[in-house]
Amino acid sequence: MDIIKAENITKRFTGHTALDNVSVSIREGSIYGLLGPNGAGKTTLIRIINHITAPDSGTLWFGGHRLVAGDVARIGYLPEERGLYKKMRVGEQALFFAKLKGMKTSEATAELKKWFERFGIMGWWNKKVEELSKGMAQKIQFIVTVLHRPRLLIFDEPFSGFDPINAELLKKEILRLRDEGATVIFSTHNMESVEALCDDFTLINRSHNILSGNVAEVRRRMGRDNYRLTFQGDPEALLAALGNNVAAHKLSEPVETSEGVHFNAEFTLHPGVDMRSFIRCANEAVEIVTFDRALPTMNEIFIRAVEAANAGQQSVGD
Amino acid sequence: MHSNIGIIISREFSERVAKKSFIITTLLMPVLMLILMAAPALIAQFSTPSHRRIAVVDQSGLVLPALIADKSAPDYLSLVASSAPVDTLLADDETDGVLLVGSDILSNPSDVKLYLRDAGSMALEMGFQSVIKEVVEAERLKNYNIENLSEIMKEIEADVHLQTIRVDETGESESTSSAISFFVGLAMTFILYMFLLMYGQMVMTSIIEEKNNRVLELVVSSVKPMQLMLGKIIGVGLVAVVQVAIWGVLICLMSAFLLPVLMPEALSQEVALAGAGALDGADARFNPELVQAVSLLGSVGYIAKLFFMMTLFLIGGFLFFASIFAAIGSAVDNIQDASQLQSFAIIPIIVALMFSLSVGNDPNSPMAVWLSMIPFTSPMVMLSRIPFDIAPWQVWVSLAILYVSFVFMAWIAAKIYRVGIFMHGKKPTIKDLVRWARYK
Repeated sequence: MDIIKAENITKRFTGHTALDNVSVSIREGSIYGLLGPNGAGKTTLIRIINHITAPDSGTLWFGGHRLVAGDVARIGYLPEERGLYKKMRVGEQALFFAKLKGMKTSEATAELKKWFERFGIMGWWNKKVEELSKGMAQKIQFIVTVLHRPRLLIFDEPFSGFDPINAELLKKEILRLRDEGATVIFSTHNMESVEALCDDFTLINRSHNILSGNVAEVRRRMGRDNYRLTFQGDPEALLAALGNNVAAHKLSEPVETSEGVHFNAEFTLHPGVDMRSFIRCANEAVEIVTFDRALPTMNEIFIRAVEAANAGQQSVGD
Repeated sequence: MHSNIGIIISREFSERVAKKSFIITTLLMPVLMLILMAAPALIAQFSTPSHRRIAVVDQSGLVLPALIADKSAPDYLSLVASSAPVDTLLADDETDGVLLVGSDILSNPSDVKLYLRDAGSMALEMGFQSVIKEVVEAERLKNYNIENLSEIMKEIEADVHLQTIRVDETGESESTSSAISFFVGLAMTFILYMFLLMYGQMVMTSIIEEKNNRVLELVVSSVKPMQLMLGKIIGVGLVAVVQVAIWGVLICLMSAFLLPVLMPEALSQEVALAGAGALDGADARFNPELVQAVSLLGSVGYIAKLFFMMTLFLIGGFLFFASIFAAIGSAVDNIQDASQLQSFAIIPIIVALMFSLSVGNDPNSPMAVWLSMIPFTSPMVMLSRIPFDIAPWQVWVSLAILYVSFVFMAWIAAKIYRVGIFMHGKKPTIKDLVRWARYK
């Protein structure tokens, strides 16, 4: 079932359109990557899901019904630009945010104690926020976001400002929350973490949804005719043997290893050339050490899709 | 969802009331005001001027006897008759000054000079002037050869103190004096002026702070921007009301307990008589205005009523102006950027204050009535008119307009706020604000 279904969302501000007819579906229990260059319209979409701004047209469904204001109590949102009240004490402040999400004081206190103990920050309870470092404040903001056990969690650049150890801790917590049933929307520029964490994604560019789907599937699809080969032997012989099956190739300098001289090569085959004939040809010319599909990284997919979309838009514009 | 506004209010309220600075100003302010009011009297009490010896060279022979006979002359002054030249007299260290009265004082009353070694004093100059004036006038009258002149003068002398009695519909009469009404109204207007500016700007700066802090982004994911804005305005407003209430109670307590203890007995007797309406002007030993003022200040009911009206206008005026301040605070990134937009709120407040200063001339002039109906100026102008016992319907109509205007202003402000809190960087113009208010 989809927890979020956005249908043909359009939002205009004076002078520009932030979202133009964008549709997105997010499976319950998945981790969903919301990707796109700066200013593409991601934050506007997140604000619409959070019922902070209203779309000019289009419908947003939350768990099967139209999104209403009361739904935000079942959503936890960690914005990219986030702060806390500086003069307030940590515990008092966490309670304030928990109560805004509809928790009772006693329930919120008990839950907060659990989280503070898990993060080993019980000693901060009576500290003022201004005494905390940026990373410490980020932990509090994270706790405040997830405390009320929301069905939907939205993280906008959650790892910025964290050192690698705390980023890992955070990643584990996000996965644990997913395992407990929460759906996670994840907006980030860190494409490695998208590969590691996200099930599905959508790529928004210049207020349009230009690519969406399952991460693994899209990578497979975009890398269908790409193969990576490590071999011993004569590169010239290999290229001759492959002949006009190959549309493009990249060959590395020879690498000295204990087993002799290795070459790494990447090939893009012409459409319609099947993998087995490629292996057969290669196998006759050189000694294959490893053979692999060369799946494009999310980083490559991001750049390729955005550049293609911008080029297309420009040619349409011209 | 609805209880969220309560959570916001309680955070805003407790954050401010728990501050040391709030407790200190709330308790110290009335004490400070009292000290300020009592200061002139205290200074007069404790600083008697040093002894002064003035030589009087009276070439007319008329002034000196009158000067010596003058009972109101201060004790520190001693007069010595002399006929020596001024220079010789001043050369003497014992003499502090010389009063030289010309021989022809009757025809040329300005032929009087006062030489002083050190700085003069107003009291001294005025004293000499009035005595000489009386002498000259009396001498000139004598030339008309009217019999029993001094008796006649005593008989026709009149001391006029106007007692204004306003009769209301119930037939009860209240004695009021325009001067007292004016000062009471002015005091309330000043308090209101201070509160509107201080607490209005507090709303604005605290929104700017939240915006810069980026804590807003976190809060609006659980609270509607409208609720957040109203919660802040109401929370800060409650702080203002608590402060005024504490001051009101303190002043009522002072007028009920402290004033009777501190007053001279003779004065309190007259005040009691005046309260019963039985004071005969001829017997009064004190200035009737003073008696009336003290009797008003001693009347707890009167003060409580004024405070009640002031609180109503304070709340309405604050809500109205705080909405404007909130919209401005949401739109800008720092206080410098706010200064231009702020004038939309500050200029009407100052205009209202200036006008209130002249309301006493004619509290029922069309200008006064209109300004006390327009919500931008009404709280202060109306407050300065209330002590003049204006028609009650005007007060209630003004209040109704004020509160309705607040709802309208808050609605517009919320529309600006909702967009403004996410705007960073560019300094907004009034045109931007109008555009934001129109967004869906």
